[in-house]
Amino acid sequence: MPSELLKGFRVLDLTDEKGALCGKMFADLGAEVIKVEPPGGCSTRRIPPYLEDKADPDHCLYSIAYHAGKKSVTANLATDDGRALVGDLVAKSDFLVESHQLGYLDSIGLGYDTLAKRNPRLIYASITPFGDTGPGKDYNWADIITWAAGGMMYMMGDEGKPPIQMSLPQAGLHAGGEAAVAMMLAHYPRQIDGLGQRIVVNMQACIVWTLMNEQAMPFLHGNHLSRTGIFVGSADARRKMVYECKDGHISILIAGGTTFGNSTKALIEWMRENGFGSDWMRTKDWVSWIPGVFMKLTDQDRKEIDDLETTIEHFLLTMTKHEIYTQGLKRRIFLAPVADVADVASDEQLNARDFWTAVPHDTIGRTLTFPGPFAKLSATPIGSTTRAPRVGEHNDEIYRGLLGLTPDRLNKLRAAGSI
Amino acid sequence: MSRFALEGVHILDFAWVGVGPITTKYFADNGADVIRVESAARPDVLRIGPPWKDAMPGINRSQFFASYNTSKKGITLDLSKPKARDLAKRLVPWADIIVESFTPKAMRNWGLDYEKLRELRPDLIMLSTCMQGQTGPNALYPGFGQLMAALSGFYYISGYGPGSCAPPYGAYTDFIAPRFSAFALLAALDYRRRTGMGQYIDMSQYEAAMQNLAPALIDYHATGRVLEPRGNASARYAPHGAYRCADEDGNERWIAIAVANDEQWRVMLAAFSSDSTDPRFKTAAARVENAAAVDQFVNTLTRTHNAQDLTAKLQAAGVAAYPVENCVDIHHDDNLEAFGFWHWLEHKEMGAAPYEGLEHRMSRTPGTLRSAAPILGQDNDEVFRGMLSLSADEIEQLKKENVIF
Repeated sequence: MPSELLKGFRVLDLTDEKGALCGKMFADLGAEVIKVEPPGGCSTRRIPPYLEDKADPDHCLYSIAYHAGKKSVTANLATDDGRALVGDLVAKSDFLVESHQLGYLDSIGLGYDTLAKRNPRLIYASITPFGDTGPGKDYNWADIITWAAGGMMYMMGDEGKPPIQMSLPQAGLHAGGEAAVAMMLAHYPRQIDGLGQRIVVNMQACIVWTLMNEQAMPFLHGNHLSRTGIFVGSADARRKMVYECKDGHISILIAGGTTFGNSTKALIEWMRENGFGSDWMRTKDWVSWIPGVFMKLTDQDRKEIDDLETTIEHFLLTMTKHEIYTQGLKRRIFLAPVADVADVASDEQLNARDFWTAVPHDTIGRTLTFPGPFAKLSATPIGSTTRAPRVGEHNDEIYRGLLGLTPDRLNKLRAAGSI
Repeated sequence: MSRFALEGVHILDFAWVGVGPITTKYFADNGADVIRVESAARPDVLRIGPPWKDAMPGINRSQFFASYNTSKKGITLDLSKPKARDLAKRLVPWADIIVESFTPKAMRNWGLDYEKLRELRPDLIMLSTCMQGQTGPNALYPGFGQLMAALSGFYYISGYGPGSCAPPYGAYTDFIAPRFSAFALLAALDYRRRTGMGQYIDMSQYEAAMQNLAPALIDYHATGRVLEPRGNASARYAPHGAYRCADEDGNERWIAIAVANDEQWRVMLAAFSSDSTDPRFKTAAARVENAAAVDQFVNTLTRTHNAQDLTAKLQAAGVAAYPVENCVDIHHDDNLEAFGFWHWLEHKEMGAAPYEGLEHRMSRTPGTLRSAAPILGQDNDEVFRGMLSLSADEIEQLKKENVIF
């Protein structure tokens, strides 16, 4: 069962991969989310990879993951009847989220201004790559474009090689999450005065927001970082943040100060117990050692960091990811395995919290294991979700049940290619 | 009509570092009253994190802290002292929402956990957010978002191929979790309005981050296939990646390009006044198959072009393209400018600086950055005198005892 939190609210989901997560989040909290897609299914039904490499919509992993919990109706927006159906659905809905080319829905009579006349309560969110006013408002899009435009791509990769994207595109997920928050922000005043509004989500801004403190470096420190692979910091203050171990990589934060100094001390103690490292490492006052990551290191700092990093390199090569993580937890060292999905799937903490959720998929004759709820809610817990709907699976339920169409009318719409 | 969406909503914010403060920033920038409870005895790590005004550290000089704490008030209470906890408790009946982000035992040890606090306000909504959740064997895991990005799988899928690791900058998962926690809090607030019921939300940043990896996790559980890093290679697009443009001022410049189909490939070549009869580039499927060769070829086309001019040209032709922007570029980006993304705020100690604005815009009740982040203890008098009716002498005494500290 999804949560009861948003039970009774209806969301129309007209997004593609720029916003599918938004509807998933609403569905998790119990809203009725109706995915409105073209008769052949929307583009998100054909995003590789596919389960068992079976290239059909039922096996599309993106669709399986991000349409779970939703219903699906088809509507051909190129036809008057298809558009009229969506208009009728809007009249009975609380939220609409879409990510069409800017202006497209306006051009077919499904823009905010038109729909708000029918349903003044409507909250209508448009997810856009570059906002709705700038020179890029009509730009062609792919997820990697936002990753580049938002500044994260520039900082990922090795020197001498091209900047890279993560191997599971992320920009559309950030935008979907942002849309969900913005729609709920707009919901609050609507519950007071009954009026909805239009929201424009800017995907580029969503990725800029992930740059953490780096965006402010040029203005305040007069410098900025570029991609440095497994190192962090500017050229004269570089630290290694990822080390090899027996079966993969480990990330460690080496630093001093009140926050990190004790972790560094604990790591050194652990290494010394195993015969790695030198005495100076043990005697040094790490808690009061604060060479800034972005400031120039002294020659002495550099020498010590190099010595420490070399020691860590040798030490970690003697153990596996799991062995190192186990000790790190015990000794309270700021480290983590560079986990792949297999490590995550067997993680004891996630298992102890009953995180994984079984979701039966009669469409493909098997039960799939999903990541569980994004939060544990005491009064209205998020339980298991339901499988992604097939394209148009809920045409009868929604068009007949909600809009009151007769079977005859539904057949005519089908025959005309409107649904 | 309210000017801001969340006018009248009150939040008592014990959170620190990234996820908690970013969550409450959504509320503060939209008109909620957010009081951050801090302490000089245990300052927010971000207060001492770079960048700093004039590159000089100081408790009120960090833009890292300033960015995530706009529009909030700030008071200081050293919660290790019983008197400070009593004062904090006196603010609880005022609070619709309490947020905290310590390791799980901290609030319990102070007697400030949900069960205790709801005695003071039965319909309280409380969010605890930490690395791995309030329960389970690793609940006390100490860490930051950088480590969580490694632990949850994002580092692994950042690289040029199996064995390569080129992770994202910073605490990547700190920018996933707040969208989920703010969403959950807003929904809980509405649920309370309808039912009168508050609740407790246990948000594991690990579990929230998993949502952004769901397809790969479902795949692994079902088939054992592990998602490997693959640089910019894509099963849908070729070319797909960053391509070298002409250097500017001695710096490398790159352009991101993604081509999905034959029509886009054709117009891209036309935009370069180029052509190719190479059979490896003939169809979309062939280009995906021969992506490395495609990349090499496209690099020869882009190398002499200015990245911005080339973006305009390719986009006009119908090809998805954009310069690979660095942190200087984003401050001069025409599209962010048109959206009104950057805000200049005047901070009491740091003066004027550019802040990231909101990532969305609402037509009727738009949020905005209402004020710069508080300097440490900035609103002590207003809160302790104005809200708790302490006298000036009492406040002075509590300051002497390092309770208000």
